Amino acid sequence: MSVVELVAPPGESLVVQRPSLARFWNLILIPTLVIGSACIVALGANGYWISSLTSAAAIALAASGAGLLYGQLGLVSLCQYSLLGVGGWVALRLGFAFELAFEVNLLAAGLVSAGVGLLCGLPALRLRGLYLALVTLMLAGGFQVVINACGFPDGGPGFLGRADATPRIMMARPAIALSNQGYFIYSSVVLSLGLMIVELHRRTKPGRAWALIRAGETTALAAGVNLVRYKAWAFSLAGFLAGVAGALLAGNVGQLDGRAFPASESLSLFALTVVGGVYNWIGAVFTGLLLRAVVSLLTDLRVDGNIAMALFGAALLHSLIVAPSGIAGLIVGLFDRISSRIVNRQP
Amino acid sequence: MLLSFIVSGLGVGAVYALSGVGLVVLYRATGVLNFAFGATGALGAFCAHTVATAGYPVVAAWMTALVVATASSYFYGRVIAPSLSTRDLVVRAVGTLGFALILLGFIGWAWGDTPRRLSLPTDGIYFDLFGTRLTMTRILALALVFGMVAGINFMLSRTRLGLEMRSLADNRGLSAILGIRVVSVEASAWIISGISAGICGVLLANLVRLQGLQLTFLVIPAIAAAILGGLSSLVATAAAGVAIGIVEACLSIWPAVAPYRTATPFVVALIAVAVMGATANRRILTR
Repeated sequence: MSVVELVAPPGESLVVQRPSLARFWNLILIPTLVIGSACIVALGANGYWISSLTSAAAIALAASGAGLLYGQLGLVSLCQYSLLGVGGWVALRLGFAFELAFEVNLLAAGLVSAGVGLLCGLPALRLRGLYLALVTLMLAGGFQVVINACGFPDGGPGFLGRADATPRIMMARPAIALSNQGYFIYSSVVLSLGLMIVELHRRTKPGRAWALIRAGETTALAAGVNLVRYKAWAFSLAGFLAGVAGALLAGNVGQLDGRAFPASESLSLFALTVVGGVYNWIGAVFTGLLLRAVVSLLTDLRVDGNIAMALFGAALLHSLIVAPSGIAGLIVGLFDRISSRIVNRQP
Repeated sequence: MLLSFIVSGLGVGAVYALSGVGLVVLYRATGVLNFAFGATGALGAFCAHTVATAGYPVVAAWMTALVVATASSYFYGRVIAPSLSTRDLVVRAVGTLGFALILLGFIGWAWGDTPRRLSLPTDGIYFDLFGTRLTMTRILALALVFGMVAGINFMLSRTRLGLEMRSLADNRGLSAILGIRVVSVEASAWIISGISAGICGVLLANLVRLQGLQLTFLVIPAIAAAILGGLSSLVATAAAGVAIGIVEACLSIWPAVAPYRTATPFVVALIAVAVMGATANRRILTR
């Protein structure tokens, strides 16, 4: 997408339209819709659904990172769920060790995951194609082995913080959001902040640089884009979002289980990121809802969770072949058609 | 002590080698890195287990595994893969990821998550080598690797199909203009890959255990071996696969790293990708 559009009707001189502030419209829309609907849901839903939707918000935050890499740069990151695990580990470890404010743990988890995400991306800084997909798949597999062997901290001593004999401790939630409803709204505020950060990036200089890189690295270089800096920035941002999501997830239950982070979960997360849609912020929200709320719904209906996984795979193939912009693309397209019809009807 | 671990690693290494070879053949002909390789093998192995527990002879179980794995691989290659064939390498690989998720979900739904083991009559026959039992299954696995590598190499260099596969690998568009039936040549590559997936599924279900996720992630050491073979050399891929199996087995000697030893293929593959990226081979994955 070019920001400066060149329009030259026949017989008239070239008019350069400056980008208007309307492109930042989404920055108002995101918090209104996300926090607004979270508040409405919090009034009506029961504890089980509040907890599911809180995890959905965390997953949506991580998905926005994976979607950023795939949508803006065409890079496949298959370890986003593992980065979420890294963030959760850091948040739990710091939470038990220092009793800092929850927000500090949140930021620290984000920063550590950003560093790890950057490390994962290093081989792909100069390379394209399948490299990142392979590297991240290996990391997801490796993380599964490591986290299964060492587990998440639960208040024990030592660096790993495992409590084998002493009772397990739960991580404290933020002081302003101790109740389930409160924590759900807190998570949705963090989610909308994350989505706004991504949206801001897409609408400003980094977004233009990423679009040029996507169009061709030679083109981008010729236009004066610093390839390494902008790719590294994208990896760090994706990692940061996953890390914050991991801390949110840890705060939801107060604990994390190492067995809940198999490599297949990272694959499902990526599949659903594509299914939800990577070119629009709503896509990430759909991803979160699909991976958590739909699975909860299926559990409610006593449908096997494995069927959900098979459905995710089929949906991924469908998106790749037929609908590359995902559910978000379908919805935005429908909305555009309706609104243009309304506008055209006026005299 | 070390020798016995090497011997025990030979069997799993042979499976890694065979799956690496299956991946490379498919990648060379179609440009698809098949993440669903392990899942098709797993589907075959589970069907074989069902047939074997129903009381049918072992040969029938073997054949079921081969037929099911080959059929599912052919199905993807003939029905789904062509609609992605003009897209980037990444999108084509991600498509197989979708297929892997479908198979994995189906396996979990149909057979559950309880690990099982597929026993073969060749388990009972063994030799003592350096104080370790070298079962006939392991010898069979190694023999199959040699057979497949030799057979596929012969096919690629001496037969009409091999010539057509090599020309597809070189340039798909030009091959089509020259009158090569692109879709049917690609379908035969999917069949060869499916056969090796079936064999690997049964062997791994016997040597390690029969579990959907475990077998699906067989694709990781296979990819590691394939990358070490530069995604083109079958012999180098096979050697790398055997080496990964042996390294993994030997790491169980040290208690400090033993819980993490199943991460060996991941680490090896990471190093392989990094090394490949730093050397002239980097064009292979970006063609």
